[in-house]
Amino acid sequence: MERYWNEEIECMSREDMKKLQDERLVAQVKHVYENVKYYRDLMDEKGVKPEDIKGTDDLHKLPFLSKADLREAYPYGLLAKPLSDCVRIQSTSGTTGKRVVAFYTQNDVDMWEDCVARAITAAGGTDEDVCHVAYGYGLFTGGAGLHGGSHKVGCLTLPMSSGNTERQITFMRDLGSTILCCTPSYAAYIGETVHEMGLTPDDLKLKAGIFGAEPWTEEMRRSIEKSLGIKAYDIYGLTEISGPGVAFECSEQSGMHINEDNFIAEIINPDTGEVLPEGEVGELVFTSITKEAFPLIRYRTRDLCVLSRKKCSCGRTLVKMAKPMGRSDDMMIIRGVNVFPSQIETVLIEQGYSPNYLIEVDRKNNTDTLDISVEMNPDQFSDKVKDMQDQEKALAVAIKTMLGINPKVHLVSPKSITRSEGKAVRVIDKRKLIDNPAK
Amino acid sequence: MSNVRQISVFLDNRPNQLKGVMAILKNGGINIRALSVADTKDFGILRMIVNDTEKAVDVLKDASYAVAVTEILAISIPDAPGQLSRVLDILGSENVNIEYLYAFTGASDKAVSFVIRVDDNENAANALTRGGIIQLTENDIAEM
Ligand SMILES: [Zn+2]
Repeated sequence: MERYWNEEIECMSREDMKKLQDERLVAQVKHVYENVKYYRDLMDEKGVKPEDIKGTDDLHKLPFLSKADLREAYPYGLLAKPLSDCVRIQSTSGTTGKRVVAFYTQNDVDMWEDCVARAITAAGGTDEDVCHVAYGYGLFTGGAGLHGGSHKVGCLTLPMSSGNTERQITFMRDLGSTILCCTPSYAAYIGETVHEMGLTPDDLKLKAGIFGAEPWTEEMRRSIEKSLGIKAYDIYGLTEISGPGVAFECSEQSGMHINEDNFIAEIINPDTGEVLPEGEVGELVFTSITKEAFPLIRYRTRDLCVLSRKKCSCGRTLVKMAKPMGRSDDMMIIRGVNVFPSQIETVLIEQGYSPNYLIEVDRKNNTDTLDISVEMNPDQFSDKVKDMQDQEKALAVAIKTMLGINPKVHLVSPKSITRSEGKAVRVIDKRKLIDNPAK
Repeated sequence: MSNVRQISVFLDNRPNQLKGVMAILKNGGINIRALSVADTKDFGILRMIVNDTEKAVDVLKDASYAVAVTEILAISIPDAPGQLSRVLDILGSENVNIEYLYAFTGASDKAVSFVIRVDDNENAANALTRGGIIQLTENDIAEM
């Protein structure tokens, strides 16, 4: 039996949903035009007035916002409510450049938590569950988002934050955690640690995991599901739009339902900005139609993915987004070829390696180099140099088949690559260090 | 015939890797009888014979090293010209393929000891016995 948090919305007919979106979009554009000078200027520049927007069919007339705009308008330039109406700030993890800060009114927080509650419910969560939140707490939206959603559902919430993995597992055991929420790489690490502590999934009560905030593959899903004895659900979101829960996975585990009553999704051609029809791969763009304090219109996520309105077996009618194929931020162009870390990860897991790896891209003699360090499994080690070199070569060939370019593979000792408790650092692009000073 | 167990350890291409292994063995109270390092541009493989193989494997695995145990042959030959070449001739005539070999110091300065890693231990051991080459047992080495 599929459970819904808000059946009326989650299973609403397409017509009714469009009507709801039309109304909310018209009101939102007016709100933004009146209160956000930065976006008003963009609209004026494009010659669009709020009256031109009569519904979602007119969405394409509106200008885009990008991360660059958010940096430019930092910190208050896109704020649409007086600070006295705001109750919360969250921020992106900011690995590059200036941080992005997002503001929330109480209604915004409620809406966000409601979205997360839908995700937890779709993962089988009820007020009987013990929800173990091992996302980082703080400015990062992971901890706060899942925490709030868990409260809404009425789960017993364990605000663990990330880190101190053995203690996490002890709590899981002693307090009977049933749902684990964290990044997929941390879930994999917890799974490893469980086994190292001599425990098996049977010693834990976990039944589901809600994992997001970084890209992960189907292979990684299966490996986490096996090591923790759970069903693993994907959750999607970004701080700019609200946080985790913009989209969530249902029992079908074949893409994430977007909470369309709050966020309108479009797929565009990243080069031309042209809106692409359903089913085509392009950059995902979101418009927040209910956010009050920080309402972004046509925000370019840089995530490449595809939307589908195919009927879902769970009964929800919300449009589904496929797992992003990569973030255009993560995408590396190596010798002219687009490479995503997720592609490399897929090969590693297929070939029986752990998903612990480090990609280093550099430029030597005007040629891009791709070096991949991969942890070996203890049982594949041989005392013969040639055996080890053959294994490196075999893996390099498999990766070349996937990417079309030749990597250099380096097997390294088990557990020698730094484990992450938050977002994993998988890529070091040294070309950026070289390129910048020259400019 | 008694084959001798050799421990191999994978060494990452980073500073102080060998030092790290030595410290672990020292803390475990383990004595090394024979040792060699095969180095490549990318990684190294440390090979050794110790006085307590089980314990050495345990302490290294606990420290997350990739460890393998392989049976090798250990021989003792007179420290004189032509002796090693005689061994190689014996093995060659039986078509035994040698993966690697390394020398280590034995109890006597009149003899020199070698670790020989071959693809067919039994065949090689029989050939060496027929050729009159002294093979060492794990006990022999432990008592050196
Ligand atoms: Zn569904």
